[in-house]
Amino acid sequence: MSRSLIAFALLALTAAPASAAEGAAKPGLLDPHLGLMTWTLLIFVVLMVLLAKFAFGPITEAVRSREQALTDAMAAAERDRNEAAKLLAEQKSAIEAARSEAQRFIAEGRATAESMRGEMLEQTRTQQADLLDRARKEIESEKAKAIDELRREAVDLALAGAGKLIGQKLDAAADRAIVEQYLSSLGGK
Amino acid sequence: MKPGMFKSLLAATLLLAAPLAAQDHAAPTDSTVQDSAAVAAQAQHAAPEAEHAAGPVDIITPHITNSDHMEVPWPVFPFFKEVHLPKWEPIHVGPLTLDMSPSKHVVMLLLGATVLFVVMLLVAGAHQRASRAGVAPKGAANAIEAMILYIRNEVILPNVGHHGEGFVPYLLTAFFFILTLNLLGLVPYGSTATGNISVTATLAILTFITVELAGIRAQGLGYLNTIFYWNNELPILMRPLLFLIMSPVEIIGKFTKPFALAIRLFANMTAGHIVVLAFVGLIFTFGNVISVGPFVMATLVMLLELLVAFLQAFIFTLLSSVFIGQIREAHH
Repeated sequence: MSRSLIAFALLALTAAPASAAEGAAKPGLLDPHLGLMTWTLLIFVVLMVLLAKFAFGPITEAVRSREQALTDAMAAAERDRNEAAKLLAEQKSAIEAARSEAQRFIAEGRATAESMRGEMLEQTRTQQADLLDRARKEIESEKAKAIDELRREAVDLALAGAGKLIGQKLDAAADRAIVEQYLSSLGGK
Repeated sequence: MKPGMFKSLLAATLLLAAPLAAQDHAAPTDSTVQDSAAVAAQAQHAAPEAEHAAGPVDIITPHITNSDHMEVPWPVFPFFKEVHLPKWEPIHVGPLTLDMSPSKHVVMLLLGATVLFVVMLLVAGAHQRASRAGVAPKGAANAIEAMILYIRNEVILPNVGHHGEGFVPYLLTAFFFILTLNLLGLVPYGSTATGNISVTATLAILTFITVELAGIRAQGLGYLNTIFYWNNELPILMRPLLFLIMSPVEIIGKFTKPFALAIRLFANMTAGHIVVLAFVGLIFTFGNVISVGPFVMATLVMLLELLVAFLQAFIFTLLSSVFIGQIREAHH
């Protein structure tokens, strides 16, 4: 086992067989060549250093900065979006507030109008009642006055008629008293 | 001729270097050689060899193995030029002998690294300009950014676990480096450095080291638990027994993971190329109207290879991330 192990190690790691093979006239397909291996190592290491310094570094740096710019832009967009959403929400709530305010105003106005209308109606009604009342009283008093007048007129007429009828001048005052006494007895009924 | 042809197809699909009869595809006339040069870049460098060689010539092995020469585009016929790469004196480091001569795959590694670095610089520039303007970049820069981000955010970070940022440069570089090398192997005149076991083994060793260091850093002394199996929940008598059984398993597991990484990448890249080359070889083996069949197949397999180029780079990165994540989470 250790022998095969050493063989593996030799094949993979060292180029020890190469130094022996170099002298041979026709190197086989599988014979490592120490010179070429050294060349490969040198070229690869130099290339790696150069590429890392001048190519991969700058390229990844450029990509990184681009990604950073993208991330920044995305973050800014996100921020703007959030801000816009906030503003929109604010606007919405303001509109909502305004609407409810308006509703409140309208409701208030309606209530005020309602109460005003009720008040005015009431007022009108009482006024109307007053007016009616006063009119009625006036009519009443007018009526009483007219009746009075009529009565006096009637007394006069009756007296004049009776004076004429009996042909003699009667004592106006005593007669009047009699008639009035009679009339008031009528009215007293 | 027919049994030989069948044999070569069989051999190719079995991932072996398939010898194709030289006379089958190049011998009769010069025009065949010209066709081969014009039609398929992959077949080009076999043609000159074919002119000289009388016997069977192996066109596949030179394509999938490393060499000290390579073909570069050339404006005049036959549209390629063979360039011999310099041979340097080996460097002796202690007991080791380092032959640092720039071979074909070294050139491909350098080319791939350069292309990748330039592309990534342009992408980074586009990003910085776009970043100042405050917008995302357009076109290819955006596409590569998408790849980087996908690998980073969907593959590496979820698998590596919390605070995995430190592993991103290594894993991203591994992904794009392997991808670039895979794709360069599909381009005419190109060669697949990731189809070389030395390259994939080095990358796997880097993953191995990264994994172990991540384990030590994440767990401190608890890291020893990933080597020596000692389960305190077991009865006291069972512990040494399971220690003896499980510890080798744990240790072998540590090495098989990068070993599999290396072999997987290497074998995938090599196998695809061998299949494509086998079909390209069949085109010239027939040399008549039947060649349409292998031509279509070669095209389709090339498209599949395009997918595999991305897939293997992805798998290497994914598995490396998973291994790192496993050891960081182990025995918590």
